Amino acid sequence: MLRYTPGATLAHRLDPRSKLCFQIGFAVAAFGGASVGWLAGVYALAALALAAGRLDPRRVASDYAVVLAVLALAPPIAGIALGPPWFRVEPALHSLRAVARVPPVLAVSAVYVHTTPVRATRAAIERLVPGRPGQLLAVGVALVVRLFPLVVEDLRTIRRAIHARGGANRPVTDRARRLAVQGLDRTLARSGRLSVALRARCFAWNPTLPRLRFSRLDYPVTVLGLALALSPLLRWLAQSAARSPLLAIA
Amino acid sequence: MIAVRGLTATRRDVVVLDDVDLTIENGEHVLLVGPNGSGKTTLVRHFNALLDPDGGMVEVNGTDAAASPVAARTSVGMVFQHPRDQFVAGTVGADVAFGPENLGLDRAEIDRRVEAALDAVDLAGQQDRRIGALSGGEQARVAIAGALAMEPDHLVLDEPLAGLDLRARRSVVDRLRELGENGTSIVAVTHDLRDLIELADRVVALVDGVVTADGPPETVLDDLEGFGVRDPRR
Repeated sequence: MLRYTPGATLAHRLDPRSKLCFQIGFAVAAFGGASVGWLAGVYALAALALAAGRLDPRRVASDYAVVLAVLALAPPIAGIALGPPWFRVEPALHSLRAVARVPPVLAVSAVYVHTTPVRATRAAIERLVPGRPGQLLAVGVALVVRLFPLVVEDLRTIRRAIHARGGANRPVTDRARRLAVQGLDRTLARSGRLSVALRARCFAWNPTLPRLRFSRLDYPVTVLGLALALSPLLRWLAQSAARSPLLAIA
Repeated sequence: MIAVRGLTATRRDVVVLDDVDLTIENGEHVLLVGPNGSGKTTLVRHFNALLDPDGGMVEVNGTDAAASPVAARTSVGMVFQHPRDQFVAGTVGADVAFGPENLGLDRAEIDRRVEAALDAVDLAGQQDRRIGALSGGEQARVAIAGALAMEPDHLVLDEPLAGLDLRARRSVVDRLRELGENGTSIVAVTHDLRDLIELADRVVALVDGVVTADGPPETVLDDLEGFGVRDPRR
C-alpha cells in the first residue's frame, strides 16, 4: 500500500509546497496537451519524478492496479458501436489519448504520497490557503490520508477472510455484496474509533505544525511547476501567433 | 487525583455503570478488573471525558472532566485496548508528537517530549520507523509513549497486555513499573491479573456496572471468585 516512507531521496528533501506546486502544474500540463510528442514528454517527466523519489514504477502500477484496469477498459468500450462495423477505431483512439494522460499523473501523486508526511502536507496546505478554509482543507486531507490506508487494509482483510473459508467458490456478485457491506460496516467503525483517538489526544484545529523551509532545490521545482501550469496557455498563444495574418505578412 | 462520584452511564436503555464511587490518589497503581461487559472501559473513558456521564461526575485534579475535557485529557493519558485504534500517524515520531502538537507547544518542547516518551518505553531513536512494521509489543509501547508525551499525571491503560506474547508482556510490564516508580499513577483495566498484579497497590472489581470489591490485592483476590477474572495464584 502506497504511503509515506521516511527516506533521504531528492523528493524527500523538497518542501511540500514546491511538490504540491509541481504536482498541480504537472496535472495541468498532462491534460493540456494532445500530441504524441507532448505525451512522451509528460511520461519522461513522470519517470524523472519517480527516480527522484526512488519509487519503483512496478510498485506504483501494482498499487494503482484497479484504477489502471478500469482505464484500460475505456478505449475498447469507447470503440464499440451498436451497428456495423461494430467497432470504430477513431473513438477508441480518442479515448486512448485521454486515458494515457492519467498514469503519469498518478505516478507523480504517488511520489508525493511516498515522500511527504501527512502533517507536512497539512502544514503546506495551511500556509498556501490562509484562514479557516485552509484549516478545514488541511484537516480534511489529513483525515482522508490517515483513514484511507486503514480502509484498504480492512477490505483486504475481508477478502482474505472470504477466501480462507472457501468463499472463492461463491458467485462474484455474492462476494462483491459481502465485501461492500462488511467494508462499509468496518469503515464506519474505523471512523468512530479514529474520532475517539483524536479526541483522546486533544485534537486541535491549530496545532503546532512542522516548520517548512524552502531550500535552493525548491526554487527550480516551483518554477518548473508554474511553467508546466502555464504551458497549455503558452502553447496556445504560440500557435495563435503562428497563425496570425500579421505574423504571416511580417 | 481522579474522583468518581455517583457516576451513572446507560447505553441504549441498558445501565452500564450504576452509581459508581471511586477515588484514585496521585501515584497510586490500581487494577480495574471484571468480566467482559462489566463496564470497565466505559468507566475509564469518563476519566478523560471521552464519554459524558448520564448521572454523577468525574473530577480530575479537582476539575469536572466533562466541563473541561482538554484539561482532563491532558491530565489523564489513555492507552487503548488495541494500539492500532490509537495511532493517527504512519511513523512512530509523528504519532507520539500528535498529542503535544495539539497542545500548541513549541517545536523544541515537542521534540523533547517525544524523545523522553520514547526513551521511557525503550524505543529511543525510533522516530522514523513505520508503525505498521513494528511488532505487537513495540506497537503497545508506542501507544504508551503517545500517552506519555502529554506528560499526564495519570495513565489509564485498557487491557495493556491483550494479544501480546510472553516477551512483549514482560517488556510492557517492566516499562509500567518504571513509570510507576517515577510517580505517575497508573490505572490498568484487565480481566487477567497474572502479570499486572505485581504492580498493584489496589484492586477494584467491577461487575455489571457496580463496584463489588475494592482493596489491596491480598484482600480482594478471594472476592473475585466466579467473576470471570483470572486469578494469578492459579
